[in-house]
Amino acid sequence: MLEARNPYSPIEAEVVDSIVETPMIKTLELRPREPIPFAAGQFVELTLPGVGEAPFTPSSRPWIEDRMFLTIMNVGKVTEAAHLLRKGDTVGLRGPLGVGYPIDSFKGREILVVGGGCGFAPLRSLMYSLLERAGDFGRLYFRGGCKSFDDLVYRKELDEWSARQDLDIRLTLDEGDESWTGHVGVVTTILDDVDLDCAQGIAILCGPPVMMKFSTEKLLKMGFRDQNIYISMERNMSCGVGKCGHCRLGLYYICTDGPVFTYEQIKSIPDVWH
Amino acid sequence: MKKGQQRIFQRYHPSVDRAADQVVIGEARTTEPLKGFFTPAREKVAELFNPEIPPSEHKPFAIVGVKACDLQGFLIQDEVFLKRGNRDPFYARAREENLIISSDCTLALETCFCLALGHDPHPKGNFDINLSEVAGGFIVEVGSPKGRELVDDHESLFQAVPHTLLEERKEIRERVIAEVQSRIDEHGVPHRDQYQGMINRNHESKLWQEEAGTCVECGACNFICPTCHCFVLSDQQTGSGTARFRLWDSCMVKDFARVAGGGNPRPQLWMRLRNRFEKKLDFFPRVTGLYACTGCGRCIPACPADIDIRRVLKALVHNA
Repeated sequence: MLEARNPYSPIEAEVVDSIVETPMIKTLELRPREPIPFAAGQFVELTLPGVGEAPFTPSSRPWIEDRMFLTIMNVGKVTEAAHLLRKGDTVGLRGPLGVGYPIDSFKGREILVVGGGCGFAPLRSLMYSLLERAGDFGRLYFRGGCKSFDDLVYRKELDEWSARQDLDIRLTLDEGDESWTGHVGVVTTILDDVDLDCAQGIAILCGPPVMMKFSTEKLLKMGFRDQNIYISMERNMSCGVGKCGHCRLGLYYICTDGPVFTYEQIKSIPDVWH
Repeated sequence: MKKGQQRIFQRYHPSVDRAADQVVIGEARTTEPLKGFFTPAREKVAELFNPEIPPSEHKPFAIVGVKACDLQGFLIQDEVFLKRGNRDPFYARAREENLIISSDCTLALETCFCLALGHDPHPKGNFDINLSEVAGGFIVEVGSPKGRELVDDHESLFQAVPHTLLEERKEIRERVIAEVQSRIDEHGVPHRDQYQGMINRNHESKLWQEEAGTCVECGACNFICPTCHCFVLSDQQTGSGTARFRLWDSCMVKDFARVAGGGNPRPQLWMRLRNRFEKKLDFFPRVTGLYACTGCGRCIPACPADIDIRRVLKALVHNA
């Protein structure tokens, strides 16, 4: 009998490049030995041989199957080792895991994407997917917030997006400096000029828990509906296949039922933002 | 096999003498849970970059004397490893290959409370063969095609069960049920019919802080529990390269839900204790229709901090 692939065994991948985004953040360009098709919002487990595994959401174009880009902040054991990788090194990838954004269901709708800090990673993949077929949707808005100018990732993409006529984009920094001429304040302070029919619109959020908590409250006040607010939840997904128990959130396992949830799904879970 | 007051599973050897070595078929549950045979505490699940499933490290085995509470534990483990999402190839292989010969309990331990969870102390299913100890032998019941085949192949060993022995089994079963019920009554353990809503009702209860006060985070309650299934993947160097192992993990340990960068949804011990009960008594029944407690009572003597699940259940039900 032909057994399915071992769910715990990663696919070998070669490091093609390691791109410095900020002092704390790098983006790895990886070439997996087998194509790994994914949908924006799905995640993978990255294995560093001899170090361990950690979950990341790819930040690249989902339809490019022979390359995967992972944007990684140096905050722990695996991420520290990931920052030391060089061209030609070998890593492992397991996935895609979980469910991503139901982009097809957004057809004809106006969409507001709100990102905070490291939440930009999955959102870059989402933005590529949305902009690739921008005509399918109503007006697109992107609102992004970052701690400081030094923490701002994807500057090239953000510049390109700013030049587009089919995208309304604004950025803000928690703390400004002399090099920054834009808005200063948390991301919820740049949502008021979003001019869409909130009751019908789609809102997509990704960022640190505190940012998602306050942004959700703001979006609800603006008139977005619970079932139209999409949130990317984070826990320490380990097995990725709903067995190991680490990422339980209420009645869900984030690794199989998420990481993308609607606010409707998670709003009654006690301490959901903890 | 009996060792002092404990019952343990021990590998059969032809030199074993049934009387001298205190082989017990009936009596009550073993000290250790059955799950170690199906999801070992440390199991190799992959060799790095090899998509194949590592071969089993031992021959299939038969386990004799499994009790009803451990068979009930299978239902939970089956939900996790076979039914929800992808089948786990390691657990699936162990379930398919191995033979379960269960047996009726013939006595109740001080900590038994299976009836409170709605389960009898004699097997009703999920076995290949069940043995009910009666005078002069066993009443043998077949519970699966595998069990049927084995009995058919050894027909000469069996004979029709006389009515008197069926009566004897009925009496033994009724006596053991009465024993378990008296333990439940002594400790005031509430029946599962009263559990509805108790976890949500007690989310902010002081109970969790009170009970967690003596907890030392050892994880014994997790490891001894027939329904606890959580594990962690760990890559380790072996002679032939890097292999991935899965190791039993404990949700009582501080780092269980911690994420990179230091965020922890359950930083306090009492939150983790609450989470453990929430998973067993709210998540599982709502997601699978099964309480993830079999009433085996193993966690009670295992806990060095005297956290008694019977007392917690009582408080949960009675806190309005």
